[in-house]
Amino acid sequence: MTRPLGLSTFLLASPFSDDAARPAFEQVAALGYDLVEVCVEDPGRLSAPALTEAARETGLAVGVCGAFGPERDLSHDDPGRRRQGVDYLRDCIDLAAAVGSPHVAGPMYATTGKARMLGPDERAQQFRWAAESIREAADHAGECGVTLAIEPLNRFETDLVNTVERGLELCAATGRDNVGLLLDTFHMNIEEKHLADAVRLAGDRVFHVQVAENDRGTPGSGHVPWAEFFGALDEIGYHGQVVVESFLPTVAEIARAVSLWRPVADSPQALARDAIAFLRSVDDSRDRS
Amino acid sequence: MFRYTYNTLAYGREPLAEGIARLARYGYDGVELVGEPAEQDVGQIRAALHRHGLVASSIISIFTPERDIVSTDPAVRRRAVDYVRGNVDHAAALGAEVVTFTPTACMKIVPGAERAREWQWAVEAAREVGDHAGECGVRIAVEPWNRYETYLINRMDQAVAFVDEVARPSVGVMADTFHMAIEEPDIAAAIRRAGARLTHVHLADSNRAAPGYGHIDFGPILAAITDVGYDGWISYELLPAAGDVWGVLSGAGAPEFGDAYTEAAITHTKKIVSDLRTVR
Repeated sequence: MTRPLGLSTFLLASPFSDDAARPAFEQVAALGYDLVEVCVEDPGRLSAPALTEAARETGLAVGVCGAFGPERDLSHDDPGRRRQGVDYLRDCIDLAAAVGSPHVAGPMYATTGKARMLGPDERAQQFRWAAESIREAADHAGECGVTLAIEPLNRFETDLVNTVERGLELCAATGRDNVGLLLDTFHMNIEEKHLADAVRLAGDRVFHVQVAENDRGTPGSGHVPWAEFFGALDEIGYHGQVVVESFLPTVAEIARAVSLWRPVADSPQALARDAIAFLRSVDDSRDRS
Repeated sequence: MFRYTYNTLAYGREPLAEGIARLARYGYDGVELVGEPAEQDVGQIRAALHRHGLVASSIISIFTPERDIVSTDPAVRRRAVDYVRGNVDHAAALGAEVVTFTPTACMKIVPGAERAREWQWAVEAAREVGDHAGECGVRIAVEPWNRYETYLINRMDQAVAFVDEVARPSVGVMADTFHMAIEEPDIAAAIRRAGARLTHVHLADSNRAAPGYGHIDFGPILAAITDVGYDGWISYELLPAAGDVWGVLSGAGAPEFGDAYTEAAITHTKKIVSDLRTVR
């Protein structure tokens, strides 16, 4: 089955803004992608009309992904800080509804890069706060017809949700049907014992997929077991988006957390071009088999 | 024939003699020690090794903000070099063959000076510890770490360029498969490029658990290690799934890193090595 392929704005401009939208969408359309995933680093510089206009002109769809910097911590000890985090996520949800994104995706449970040593009681408390904040946002999202796709991150980027297993626990703790998972192959390569097993475990909770190679470079250029990964997505009947995500060295909001010290491709354009060629070839070989 | 050793860092605060006894129990040849000479009694360690018929294989250096080879503070740089020299002396006293070397504090991800200047400091430091190691009959293994633990040397190609510039016969490169699974497109190919420079090996699976508990295919990796003519130690540096590994190990601990992983690591590797021999 062919799934819509997208490109993350983290590879186009950071922070992404209305001003950058039109040329960026044109570039992504020319490369043959089906959608642009807009990463909301600075909500003040993004508006639904500019994005929908660019999308209509280029025939692309729009996805929405959050960027959870230090001021957007949905499981912070301080309730005021958690409120700030929830308010940001609600802004993302409103944007998603307005631009037609089926979801808001991202590691929304905590500030990215927070990887501390906590005792079991503190850890459990942080988890409860994350569930409580996400539940509130999910209720708002439900009214807008939007889902939330929680992204597990590797151990160096978060201490709260590293695996599909833990992500499913968080989904369950929210008690909401419109909360599921975003699977990202870069993080899975580090944390999951077996990628296909992890995909099958997530099952119908897979709401969104991001792909990058083991070094966050071009899919197909490293050792991520792609055939196994996409085969498992076929098995669980995942028809949703597959978005290529890597980062410009200039990424602002979560730069330290991402720790990308070197270019992982000749250029962002080369990565975007080679990635879609690879993903289409994977599609073709599956269709033939 | 590989010789096997295990990094006792994973055993946390357990007395070293107990770790040595465990490694003997599961068929290891050596013990890899954490480089803290001031906290370790050479006589006691030698006695425990002798009792269990093991040898000291290697010493891993622990680089902290106070021991940073490329700190902008010359006193810190000096202390870091003296620290590694101390590990070399410790290795010589214990009969260990290898001391590891990484030119930044662990988890330091923001440079303090321009890259060229840091690189030069690191080269000079490696030459000094390399000369000292050469006199002591010890080798220095330069270890690339993944992007979350350092910014300066993340990949084998960078380590190879570094070691070639250092140009000391006692200084080579090290392969750690956990870091490599994040940074290298092809781990076995990277090891082949290291060639004769390969001086030490840390095996860990993709999730830093014992080989077999993650998804790395160790067959091609062990074939590459064999093909480059490596006759050093196969060690295991297995660590908990946390940003703060020492926080976990020194706190509640991680019991699976004791008996379970100690047994699984060597068993899994020996099986693959034996299969490779059959195929060839």
